[in-house]
Amino acid sequence: MVRFKHRYLLCELVSDDPRCRLSLDDRVLSSLVRDTIARVHGTFGAAACSIGFAVRYLNAYTGIVLLRCRKEFCQLVWSALPFITCLENKGHRYPCFFNTLHVGGTIRTCQKFLIQYNRRQLLILLQNCTDEGEREAIQKSVTRSCLLEEEEESGNG
Amino acid sequence: MSNAKERKHAKKMRNQPTNVTLSSGFVADRGVKHHSGGEKPFQAQKQEPHPGTSRQWQTRVNPHSLPDPDVNEQSSSKGMFRKKGGWKAGPEGTSQEIPKYITASTFAQARAAEISAMLKAVTQKSSNSLVFQTLPRHMRRRAMSHNVKRLPRRLQEIAQKEAEKAVHQKKEHSKNKCHKARRCHMNRTLEFNRRQKKNIWLETHIWHAKRFHMVRKWGYCLGERPTVKSHRACYRAMTNRCLLQDLSYYCCLELKGKEEEILKALSGMCSIDTGLTFAAVHCLSGKRQGSLVLYRVNKYPREMLGPVTFIWKFQRTPGDTSESRQLWIWLHPTLKQDILEEIKAACQCVEPIKSAVCIADPLLTQSQEKSQSELPDEKIGKKRKRKDDGENAKPIKKIVGDGTRDPCLPYSWISPTTGIVIRYELNFEDTEETPHRWWIETCKNPDSVSLHCRQEAIFELLGGITSPAEIPAGTILGLTVGDPRINLPQKKSKALPNPEKCQDNEKVRQLLLEGVPVECTHSFIWNQDICKSVTENKISDQDLNRMRSELLVPGSQLILGPHESKIPILLIQQPGKVTGEDRLGWGSGWDVLLPKGWGMAFWIPFIYRGARVGGLKESAVHSQYKRSPNVPGDFPDCPAGMLFAEEQANNLLEKYKRRPPAKRPNYVKLGTLAPFCCPWEQLTQDWESRGQAHEEPSAASSPNGKESKLRRSEAPCAPMPKKPHQPSDEVGTSIEHPREAEEVMDAGCQESPGPESITDQEASENHVAATGHQLCVLRSRKLLKQLSAWCGPSSEDTRGARRAPGRGQQGLTREACLSILGHFPRALVWVSLSLLSKGSPEPHTMICVPAKEDFLQLREDWHYCGPQESKHSDPFRSKILEQKEKKKREKRQKPGRASSDGPAWEEPLAGQEALTLGLWSGPLPCVTMHCSRTLLGFVTQGDFSMAVGCGEALGFVSLTGLLDMLSSQPAAQRGLVLLRPPASLQYRFARIAIEV
Repeated sequence: MVRFKHRYLLCELVSDDPRCRLSLDDRVLSSLVRDTIARVHGTFGAAACSIGFAVRYLNAYTGIVLLRCRKEFCQLVWSALPFITCLENKGHRYPCFFNTLHVGGTIRTCQKFLIQYNRRQLLILLQNCTDEGEREAIQKSVTRSCLLEEEEESGNG
Repeated sequence: MSNAKERKHAKKMRNQPTNVTLSSGFVADRGVKHHSGGEKPFQAQKQEPHPGTSRQWQTRVNPHSLPDPDVNEQSSSKGMFRKKGGWKAGPEGTSQEIPKYITASTFAQARAAEISAMLKAVTQKSSNSLVFQTLPRHMRRRAMSHNVKRLPRRLQEIAQKEAEKAVHQKKEHSKNKCHKARRCHMNRTLEFNRRQKKNIWLETHIWHAKRFHMVRKWGYCLGERPTVKSHRACYRAMTNRCLLQDLSYYCCLELKGKEEEILKALSGMCSIDTGLTFAAVHCLSGKRQGSLVLYRVNKYPREMLGPVTFIWKFQRTPGDTSESRQLWIWLHPTLKQDILEEIKAACQCVEPIKSAVCIADPLLTQSQEKSQSELPDEKIGKKRKRKDDGENAKPIKKIVGDGTRDPCLPYSWISPTTGIVIRYELNFEDTEETPHRWWIETCKNPDSVSLHCRQEAIFELLGGITSPAEIPAGTILGLTVGDPRINLPQKKSKALPNPEKCQDNEKVRQLLLEGVPVECTHSFIWNQDICKSVTENKISDQDLNRMRSELLVPGSQLILGPHESKIPILLIQQPGKVTGEDRLGWGSGWDVLLPKGWGMAFWIPFIYRGARVGGLKESAVHSQYKRSPNVPGDFPDCPAGMLFAEEQANNLLEKYKRRPPAKRPNYVKLGTLAPFCCPWEQLTQDWESRGQAHEEPSAASSPNGKESKLRRSEAPCAPMPKKPHQPSDEVGTSIEHPREAEEVMDAGCQESPGPESITDQEASENHVAATGHQLCVLRSRKLLKQLSAWCGPSSEDTRGARRAPGRGQQGLTREACLSILGHFPRALVWVSLSLLSKGSPEPHTMICVPAKEDFLQLREDWHYCGPQESKHSDPFRSKILEQKEKKKREKRQKPGRASSDGPAWEEPLAGQEALTLGLWSGPLPCVTMHCSRTLLGFVTQGDFSMAVGCGEALGFVSLTGLLDMLSSQPAAQRGLVLLRPPASLQYRFARIAIEV
């Protein structure tokens, strides 16, 4: 196939400060990553990575971020991600870091991985939960997600 | 991004999860979000609390926060999240309720929502491709789209749905037979016969259908124009080489009976005024083909039926009136119904009593229809054997071609083309077991053998003629030829003249002088039985090819010996351009009459010899360059012509309406009242009333107000009794001649008994009463000649004057005009127009009378293009807009109202449909006076003529108007008119000419 091959980095933004999530949007995020790359890899790195770089998906609630870059320069982006230590927005600095979960060739694989990952997270949460009320709520959402999956499966064959 | 692109993108992304961000000013945003969040569609949609779409993400999150209706739902429920209305909406630092702690339930919910969103994205296909296309290549299998079970099971259900959808879209195809069975010969012919039930196919249909745009017309499938770009090539073929047309859709009527009886029956249908009749000496002997215009019995000059051509069978013993004669009348299929009925009626009038013994008695006038359209009751199973009575379904191949004036041009040969193709096969000594018994019998008779030899010799001589136009018009030559398929050339080639053929100059000269001898017109094609046997004994192409393949030396000449067919054919010369003064004989050629079933056998060899094939469009072009009227479009007074005009108007209107109003001409503004049809009736009526308005003041009666108003507007056209350039002594003769003309005409039409005694005006009234205000086209040769002499400018006038004594010409005087008008108050005249400088006219172009100032300007500047029409106002535009508004208002009100208002609402809608923007609606106002120049007539055919090199047009003008214009114009510029196409404001000068 004749196309530009991309790599998709599925990352998790981890931050103590909830305000960090508040100010999270794709423009802020992309500028953050670009700055970091420029800082780490210099002008060449910044230029190389800026081709085809995009934030394809972002969820402020879970902190999941999907970044796209060209396959050739994936290493540069990937290696720059650990150097992000804080999110700067409108003069505020919120300490945070990136946790790369998965690197995939298509969005689809990343989405599939994310499903698995979230499910695992939920189960871990369920196991570790001590509060009864909380436990119930988690149980509910887990079953719901599972039910939903079945629905989807049956709906789409 | 364009709208369509956007939609496509949206469709592609409909299942993909979108970004989810927190909004900071949640309270403030809440109210705004529903409306103003549209800046980013996906995001805004996402953030609505109840999106309604399949955003499980949202629905998952929000139910949790809903218990707190509007304020701080997130924060109150240990809200750690804040929604943020995109980067635009979020004012930082406002209402910062920072969550103090995190709960597991929200955490879990967020995860669950994300899972569902991702699931949706993963499981549902987002692209426009089919299901099996989403599979990776290594998992694809052959015929997956055909058989659902070849897909992985998880995709089968989706594929099933898709397949059902596709089946609905695909049109139903009868699959009762497999492909192979459908292609088998028997079934194919059956299918072909079924397909030509409604519209009959010509014998060359399949050949044409592969190369032409086909149209269904007149009950036939005809090739309209070639698919290749060939306008100019066809013109070249017409002029220098050979253009071939299949005219087998023409119908033939056969009349059998005693000569005098046929003549008596038909004499009422044609008039001596219009030219030669059925009784013309040359035609009657069978030597020539004649053409004439048929009228209803004794109705000349009204109720025209149509133009026909006819040939009499050659008479063996001239002068023997008791012999049964055969007459073939060839006519256009549109005219068939009317003419057939009329002829039937006419012949029954002659022999009303003996009609029962019609068949038994050979002396009877028996009209027999033999057109191809008569065959629905015949057997269809046989291979394209659409039989009618006997041999009568004779395809004619018309070859139109012409020699140029220069005889040295190598390509100026038409007859050689035919000559090379038609090979003579003269095997007189063959006898036994040949199926062509009729030929053997003929060969036994030494007379017929010698006749055959003479025919052959004459045909050889035809090769020596530079152009078919040189021999007398309508010459008929009968021939018997061998199978043309046998010496088909290996390659397509152009027929070149053979120089050795031109040797016999004296014989050629004799042929030119005397024409083809009468005996040589004899052909066996007149005999039904022979034609039938020829058709039935035709060797099929398959057999011929098989024999060819069995030849010892491949590619050598196939010799069939006695089995070869002998085909009787008839060659008829077509005279080409016979009217007018320039390019005489242009476009002349030959018609070839063949027995049925032999069409393709002759067609292919013709083409292999370099003939180019034309369709209906080419024949129209040919007749236009020839300046001859085209059947049936140029016969507005016959029923077929009216029908044709109506159909054409409907087609053009439909085409016009298909365009958006801004992209089509507004004919109301252009001052074109009737862009799609020619309102002949109204035109002649207007001119008639104008003519009367003129007459009255000249007769010193009091003009009434309305007519004076008419007159005032056309002051330049005021009648001038006498021209200074005309000698006064002509006035005396001019009074004499119309009287004679009247007498002749009255002999033709017996309805008006002797109006000579009454005055002109009375006569006109008399005629008007008799005609019942009917339109007619002037076809009297005498009057046309007179008109054509008048039409020329003064320079040509002298020539006309020179001819005048011989032909009894008279000057253009008021009396002469009046006498003509008395007889033809509502007549049209066929005119040809050639533009002086620029411009190329098109059909429905208006012919107008130039004003005085136009002439002045033209005299000053010879390159003066012509005046311009000022833009008209469109009174209908506001009405249409009003109606639109009204409709809109009513539509708005309608939901509120009850359904009982339906009919009242529909009424204005129906009224509105009549109005089309850019077209005149309602009855037309006075057509002649609508524009700044007075309307004289309309063009029916017009284009740039490659034969002349300037724009040329053919059309009809009102006789009254023409005479009025001619008498008012100065002699030097007589015959100049203005042409204006319907979609233009520019008038162009053109010279009018009447060709007889």
